[in-house]
Amino acid sequence: MPTALMLASEGGITVNGPLVVADNLFGIPGFKLTESIIVQWVVIAILFVVVLVITRNLKVIPETKKQMAAEWIVSFFVDTVDTTMGKKYNKYRCYIMALFCFIMIQNLMGLLGLRNPTADVSVTGTLAVITFCMVQYNKGKTGKFKGFMKSFIEPLPFMLPFNIIGEFANPLALALRLFGNMIAGTVINALIYFALGKLAILIPAIASLYFDIFSAVMQAYIFIMLSMSYISSADCEG
Amino acid sequence: MDGMTPETMKILANAIVLGASALGAGTAMIAGLGPGIGEGFCGGKAVEAIGRQPEASGAITRTMIIGDALAETTGLYALVIALLLMYANPLLGKLM
Repeated sequence: MPTALMLASEGGITVNGPLVVADNLFGIPGFKLTESIIVQWVVIAILFVVVLVITRNLKVIPETKKQMAAEWIVSFFVDTVDTTMGKKYNKYRCYIMALFCFIMIQNLMGLLGLRNPTADVSVTGTLAVITFCMVQYNKGKTGKFKGFMKSFIEPLPFMLPFNIIGEFANPLALALRLFGNMIAGTVINALIYFALGKLAILIPAIASLYFDIFSAVMQAYIFIMLSMSYISSADCEG
Repeated sequence: MDGMTPETMKILANAIVLGASALGAGTAMIAGLGPGIGEGFCGGKAVEAIGRQPEASGAITRTMIIGDALAETTGLYALVIALLLMYANPLLGKLM
């Protein structure tokens, strides 16, 4: 069985949420330690080790393949942020690169047989809330108090409720998009394994190629592209 | 209804709710039509645009991916509703 998520009981299949490893930690009711959090720690460790290894012994003129790869990755994100957000927002480069790597490695965790942390709505919701806070910060920073308030009654004052709903709909859609794609992959893989039973040889691999690799990288890319366009379009100067 | 014990009635009520939920989950996924059409349009127009201006293919592909992602949103709302009905059914709790 590829994931801890599915428990094929007699003739039926159920898809459970992430396992709860410990409940009521430190005596606080409802403070849970779930599978998603533990897999995220693994992801953070992987990223930490990769970054430490890849940035050792850097030279001005790249000599090793390792440094060339590192420079390619960094320049890819510099180009992406510059073309999507403009030069004005170049301080967001680090965040966008970290976000992409974090989400991509999380999505790829399905390949190791672990449950994708991103197939948990609380993880994707958190990431979307960070984007939402950045959007509001950028609005306040570019427009000051007056511009921030004015952005809600544009183009006409009666649009106020629609603007407020729209402000919350963006992060909601952002969270549900990543969550929906990942959970769809997990559920479809589980169904394929269940349907094929002992004959599960080639077909799950093909499905996994799409859901665990292509979709994983694509959704991470879409998440950063949409985050970037939301942040840079929250510019309320003028 | 005569000849029915309360237990049988309860099982019957549960069965009706479960069956209706399964139908509802299936019906919700008809929403998959919309994103399919939208993404098809998006891809087709992107191919046309690249055919007209091959040198801008990078920017066109980037824009197409964002358009695809946005077109997908309504389908994902339907998926979330279908998953809720199947795995975290809120209606069963309303019985009795």
